[in-house]
Amino acid sequence: MDKRNEQSVFARYRKIILAVILFMVVDSLVIGINFYNTYKADESALSINLSGRQGTLSQRITTVLLLMQRSLDANDESSLVGNLQDSDLTVNIFNLPPSVVRNLKELDQTVTLFDTTLKGFSDGGIVTGGDGKPTLLTQVETAVSRQLVADTSEIWTKYFELLKPLLGEERNFSVAELKEAVSYAQNNNLEIQRLMNDLTTDLETVANKRASTLRIVLVIGIIVAFINFCYTVIITLRDLMSGDKKLAESRNENAEILATVHEGLFLLNKDKKLGTQFSESLPRMLHMDIVPGMDFMPILKNMVSSEVYESAVDYVELLLGERVKESLVASLNPLTNIPVSMLDKFGNTQSRYLSFFFNRALVDDKISHVLVTVQDVTDRVQLQKQVEQAKSMSKAEVETLLRLAGNDFTSLQQFIDNTSQALGQINEKLSESHDDTRALLHTLNYVLRLVHGIKGEAAALGIEALEGYAHACEQEMVAMRESGQELTSDSIVRVAVLLEGFYERYSSLANIASRLGSVLGTGALNRPDAAAAPIVHPMVEHVTHLAQRIATDHGKEVEISCHFDKLSGLPDHIVRELQSISIQLVRNALVHGIETPTERLTRNKPRTGSLSLWCEYLGSGLYEFTVRDDGRGIVPEHLRANFVKNGRLTPEKAAAMSDKEIAGLIFKPGISTADKANIDAGHGVGLDVVLEKVDTMQGGRLSVKSRPDSFTEFRIQFSAA
Amino acid sequence: MKNIDESDIHSFVNAVSGFFLQVTEEKVEIRSAYLVEDGIKPTTFELTSYITLSGNYTGRIYFSAPRALIAHLLLMMQEPDRSEERLLDAVGEIANTISGNARKHFGEAMEVTVPVTQATKPDWLEKTVSPRSYAILVKWKQYRASVIVDIQTIE
Repeated sequence: MDKRNEQSVFARYRKIILAVILFMVVDSLVIGINFYNTYKADESALSINLSGRQGTLSQRITTVLLLMQRSLDANDESSLVGNLQDSDLTVNIFNLPPSVVRNLKELDQTVTLFDTTLKGFSDGGIVTGGDGKPTLLTQVETAVSRQLVADTSEIWTKYFELLKPLLGEERNFSVAELKEAVSYAQNNNLEIQRLMNDLTTDLETVANKRASTLRIVLVIGIIVAFINFCYTVIITLRDLMSGDKKLAESRNENAEILATVHEGLFLLNKDKKLGTQFSESLPRMLHMDIVPGMDFMPILKNMVSSEVYESAVDYVELLLGERVKESLVASLNPLTNIPVSMLDKFGNTQSRYLSFFFNRALVDDKISHVLVTVQDVTDRVQLQKQVEQAKSMSKAEVETLLRLAGNDFTSLQQFIDNTSQALGQINEKLSESHDDTRALLHTLNYVLRLVHGIKGEAAALGIEALEGYAHACEQEMVAMRESGQELTSDSIVRVAVLLEGFYERYSSLANIASRLGSVLGTGALNRPDAAAAPIVHPMVEHVTHLAQRIATDHGKEVEISCHFDKLSGLPDHIVRELQSISIQLVRNALVHGIETPTERLTRNKPRTGSLSLWCEYLGSGLYEFTVRDDGRGIVPEHLRANFVKNGRLTPEKAAAMSDKEIAGLIFKPGISTADKANIDAGHGVGLDVVLEKVDTMQGGRLSVKSRPDSFTEFRIQFSAA
Repeated sequence: MKNIDESDIHSFVNAVSGFFLQVTEEKVEIRSAYLVEDGIKPTTFELTSYITLSGNYTGRIYFSAPRALIAHLLLMMQEPDRSEERLLDAVGEIANTISGNARKHFGEAMEVTVPVTQATKPDWLEKTVSPRSYAILVKWKQYRASVIVDIQTIE
C-alpha cells in the first residue's frame, strides 16, 4: 500500500485510532497509579508492622532487663561481682548464669533492632524486616509521626546510653548501671509503647487515607476507562454504520447506474467469467439470460463468426495478460460493429449491430478485471451506411441536392411526396390479382407510366440517381413487355423487386433531403412562407434545366421561352400536373422534334432551335397550355416507315391507316419513333403519360398541330373552375 | 425486403408450389407480388405457419392459407382427419418444405427453426411483419394463399 493509501486509511479511521490510544493511555495511568499505590501500601504495611514491632521490642527490652535484674537478685551477687560492697563494681559476665547470658544476647539483638528501626523511621534506611531480611524503611511523612518519632528518639537516646554498657561482647557493666537501666526502662517503657502505638495509629491513618485515595483514583480511572471504552465503541459503531451506509448508498447508486445505463456493462475476471454485477440492459442486448459467473467466451461464440471469435479470444487473452499495453492493443479489438440477430417485442428477428469495448481495471497496478462495455451501434452503423451511400452519389447530385435544399426545397419536397405517392400507387397495383397476361400487361404499362413520371421529375430536378434507376427499371420493364415470350406471372415478382429498389433509393434520398433540410434550416414545407411560395418560378427553372440538359446530351441547341404568368393563380396540383406534362413534351420535342444544328442549317433554319411553353386564359375558367417547337414536325410518312421498320405495324396495316390514325399511335403505350431507346426517349412511354394526365384533368383535352419541317404544337385545354 | 432478389423469393414460392405439385400434381401460380407498406397490409388467411431464419439471412417466412384450401389439400391426400390440429399440421408441413428449400438455397450455414403453426389472429401479421417485406399471393385451384418473405441479410 502506498503512502497516500496509508494516509487515507489513517484519515478514515482517525477517530477510532485516537480513541484507542486514549483508552490505552487512561488504562496505563490507572495501572500506574494502582501500581504506585500498591507499592505505597506495601510501604505503609511495613511501617505499621515495624512500628508495632517497636512497641514489642521496647517491651522485650524491659522484660529482658527485669529478667536480668531478677536473675541477679536471685543469685549471690558476690559471686557475680568482685566486690559485693560496692554496687558499682563491674559484673563479671563469666559468672552470670546461662539464662542471663541468653537474656543479654537477646538484649543485643532487640536494642539494635529497635535502634535501627527508630532511625529508619526518623531518617529512612535499611532495617531488618519482620522476616529477618533487610528491607527499606522510608522516613515517616506526617508531622504527627515525625513528632512521635522525635519524642521516642529523645527517650531512646538516653535509654540507649544506659543500655550501652550491657551491650556488645565486652558487657562491662555494673549492677548499678543495670539497675539504672531497669529503672529507666520501667519509667519509660510505657511511654515508648504509647508513642509507638500512636505512631502505628498514625501510620495506619496515613495508609487508610492512601487506600481511600487509591480507591477513588481507581474508581475515577475505571470510570474514565469505561467512558473511553464506550466512546471508542460508539465511534467505531458510528464509523461502521456510516461506512455501511456509504456502502449501501454506493451499492444503490451502482444499482441505479446499472439499471439506467443503456450500455451493457460487466466485469470479466481472469478466468473470463462475468462478475456478479452487470447492467440491466445487458441481457436484453445479448438476447439471453445472464447469470453471474457465466463464461463469457461461449456467449460470444454463439454470437459471432468463428474467425471473429478466434480473434476475440486472442484479444481478450492479450488484455488479461500484463505484458502488452492496453492502448497498443485497442485497435486490434475485433468486436466492433458486430452484426447480431435478436427478437423484438413481437418476436420478430431483428438485425442489430453491437460493439464490445474492453478496459482493464487495475488494483495495485495489477489487472484485476476487464470492464466490458457493450453498445448497440445499429443507428450509427446505419448512419455510416447512409453517409457512404451519400458519398457514392456523384458530386453533381450532391450539388443538386444542396441547391434544391438551399433554394428550392419546396420542389424537392414535392418531388419526394410525388415519388412516395407514385411508389404507393405502383405497390397497390402490384397487390391486385393478375389472373391473365392482359392484367399483367396492364399493370406493367401502369407501372411504366408512373416510373416514367418519376424519371421525368427526377431529370427536371437533376436527381440523376433516381432518374438513372427509373430508366433502368423502365428498360427492364419495357423488355418484359416486348419480349417475344408470353409474360408470366413470375414477372410480377421481378417488378416487386424493382419497386423495392426504388423504395431503397427513395428512402435514401428522402433521408438525405430531410437531413440537408434540417441542416440548412429550410424546414421543408413547414416554413410559414412555403405554402404561399409560387411554384411557377421553379417550374420554369426545372423545364429550362431539363431542356438544356437533353439538348446538350443530343448535340442540339435550343432557346427556350416559358410564359407561365397565367399559371400563378392556378391550384398547385394543376401546376404540378402541367409541369409533369411539360417535362414529357419538352423531352419529346428535343429528342424527336428539334434537329441538330447541322440539320437545321441544311434546312435553312436557324442553327438554334426554338422551344416555347406558355399558358393562356380562355375565359370561363378554361385555360390552354401550349408546348411548341420549330423542329421537324410530325411526318406521318416517317412514322409509318418507322412503325413498319421496328415491327409495330405490318406494311399492309401501315398503308391501310390514315395519317391521323398513324399520328395518333404516338400516344399509345409502347409506341416510339426513336431509332433506339435512350434515357430520354425510345420506350414509348412519354406521350402515353401526357395523355393519361390530360385525361385526369378536369375538362382536359389534348390537341396536336404540326407541319412537316416547320413545327409541332401540343395544346392542352383544361378547366380550373 | 433489403438485399433479397427474386431468386430468393422464388425459392420459397417454388417450395410451396413443389409441395402442391407433389401432393396434388397441381402447382400453385403467383397472382401478385407487392411490398408490405403503410396502408398495404400483408394478405393473410385463417391458418398461418412460419419458420425463423438466422445466419447470414435473418427473419421469417410465413405461409398463410384458408382452412378450405388446406381441407381440400387433405382431401386430395386422402387424409380422413380434417380436424383443426391436422389442418395446422398440414400448414406446418408446407412451412417445413419452405425450410428445406431455404437450406438448399442459402446453404447449410443458414439456421432454420422448426415451423410454428397457428390460427391467424386478427392484425397479428400486420403488426409483426417488417415494412417492405414481400407479400406473394398465390393461387391453387380456386383458392388463394400467401407467402410472406420477411428476411434481410446481415452484412
